Amino acid sequence: MSVETARAQEGAPPRPLLALHSAEFRRGREAAWTDLDALITKAETKGVPALSADELRRLPRLYRTAVSSLSVARSIALDRNLLLYLEGLALRAYFVVYGPRVGLTESFVAFVTRGFPAEARRAAAAIALAFAAVLVGVAVGFALVEGNESWFSTLAPESLTGGRSPASTAAELRDGEIFAPWPGFVPSFVVFANFLFRHNATIGIMSFALGVAGGAPTLALLAYQGAVFGAFMALHYNRGLLIDFLGWTSIHGVTEFGALILCGAGGLVIAITILFPGQYSRLENLALRGREAAGLAAGAVLMLFVAGLIEGGFRQLIANTPGRFAFAAATAALWLVYFLRAGRRSGGGEQA
Amino acid sequence: MASRLERINRFLDGVHRNRREIVTPEGVALEVEIANHGERLTAFVIDLFFWLMTTLFLVLAFALAVREHVNGAVAATIMLFVAFLVRNLYFIHFELTTQGSTPGKRIVGLKVIDCDGGALTPAAIVARNLTREVETFMPLGLYLSLPAAGAGAWAQLAYLGWIGLVSALPLFNRDHRRAGDLIGGTIVIATPKRRLLAELGEERARYAFSRRQLETYGAFELQVLEEVLRRPPSGDTSRILDEVCNKIGRKIGWEEAIPHADSRAFLTAFYSAERAHLEREQLFGVFREDKTSAPRRE
Repeated sequence: MSVETARAQEGAPPRPLLALHSAEFRRGREAAWTDLDALITKAETKGVPALSADELRRLPRLYRTAVSSLSVARSIALDRNLLLYLEGLALRAYFVVYGPRVGLTESFVAFVTRGFPAEARRAAAAIALAFAAVLVGVAVGFALVEGNESWFSTLAPESLTGGRSPASTAAELRDGEIFAPWPGFVPSFVVFANFLFRHNATIGIMSFALGVAGGAPTLALLAYQGAVFGAFMALHYNRGLLIDFLGWTSIHGVTEFGALILCGAGGLVIAITILFPGQYSRLENLALRGREAAGLAAGAVLMLFVAGLIEGGFRQLIANTPGRFAFAAATAALWLVYFLRAGRRSGGGEQA
Repeated sequence: MASRLERINRFLDGVHRNRREIVTPEGVALEVEIANHGERLTAFVIDLFFWLMTTLFLVLAFALAVREHVNGAVAATIMLFVAFLVRNLYFIHFELTTQGSTPGKRIVGLKVIDCDGGALTPAAIVARNLTREVETFMPLGLYLSLPAAGAGAWAQLAYLGWIGLVSALPLFNRDHRRAGDLIGGTIVIATPKRRLLAELGEERARYAFSRRQLETYGAFELQVLEEVLRRPPSGDTSRILDEVCNKIGRKIGWEEAIPHADSRAFLTAFYSAERAHLEREQLFGVFREDKTSAPRRE
């Protein structure tokens, strides 16, 4: 018999006395659950730092109580409200206890000082491949336009040419472009740099995202960027301005092309992950490497921001070609040191 | 284990969510419920509203501050840049500091978690949100910046096609993950708020039932009865209680008539006895799912 009937004293109405194990179980632990619930609610709404030292000490113990209560409840209780409550409570507590506690600034600093260069070092092969694609593009663009300048308008989009075309003379290019006077703070920094930043970021992120399509579109996009640059090079080469042009572009181009290559490398990492998943399933592998690849793209967008500042400002402030080359060499050296050295612990492993 | 509740949850709450298990370091399997498409869309629209308002406010404040000094082009660039920053920082900031929920997600009751139940890393959050830029905002911006008619028809089609394809991705996988979730290795789960209600079972009851009477039902019916008893009192509720009371009385062969005023007391007593019976059986390894299925030894 599952119902134990206990007769009370003579005369009183017969009252069955049930053994409700789950109710008894609940009575013993309910206080701890309520306590934990209050703690988590506080942590969820105001953040973990809002908890006092005493509350922090109680949290792990209460969490373990709730988790073990849940296991017990699953095997002995049929009270649906109780079961659902404990499921929810244990899950919420789990996220508070095991969740990461990093703020925006903290993780940004960690990313810039350690994460980004470490990811770039890991993706060295993809970076080399992306670099090769750009070089091929430059060579093709240069060869095409050098032989026949009507290719120029085919390769270079109108929004980027800024009036430069096969019809431009050497003098126009020299005085109106390469050694043009600095137009002033607001037009150069705010409008032009910002336009270039968004244009480049769009291309960079696009070449990253196209990695999902297997890598070929990424390589094509990188090669196309190279080809546009090659076309400009040929235009200036035919007018005897190649060295000055290179000086004029290298000042920011080192940073800009570096960023584009990193974005492309991020896309290639994704493509390689999808094409050759190795011992994991494609999705698992994507989850493993996708974060790194996205980190590359995010870091590259930051680099583009720097490039936009350099381009909008410093480029016209340094008005001679050797000075520009020196500046470009300095940025190249800085980036190299950053990517090769930053975040490496002496004698220890890398900190990702 | 908890999947025993799946059928009753679907029956009583009317919401169906896919489930997935994560195992805590203590070795307890916790079930998470994958958020539905509609819930995620709602959360996104709420977030959209918040960050559009923030952007608008910032831009207005800025415009008032410098309206004398700048021309239209500068203002437009600044606006675009502020929108870009607010949009990205909004999602990343909130998902970082509140462990996976933006204000919109919190209102709807959603949360971003690592798909294996591990720690949600900043890298994963940045990855899933930067991809949002590629999924929607960038092609949308490109689409809107195209000339209205003529020349860009193919480009328009390409951008719209891209947005359509990428937005449809969550429809085609079990965990409803969008591209950013795949790259970041995250899933979005629903965390409905559940309160612990008062204990329904009464250990001292006015009615006693025989084992045969209690063997009429299984766990499913017990939990439906629990839900009925937890309804807030109203005319409707008492009518339902009467109906259920009659039905159960007939089914278990209860001979005395139960007066209307006693419906709740009778049902509470039956609920307690039934629960005590089924829980005791379960303790001995016999689980009975519902009235139509035979008790199952496990």
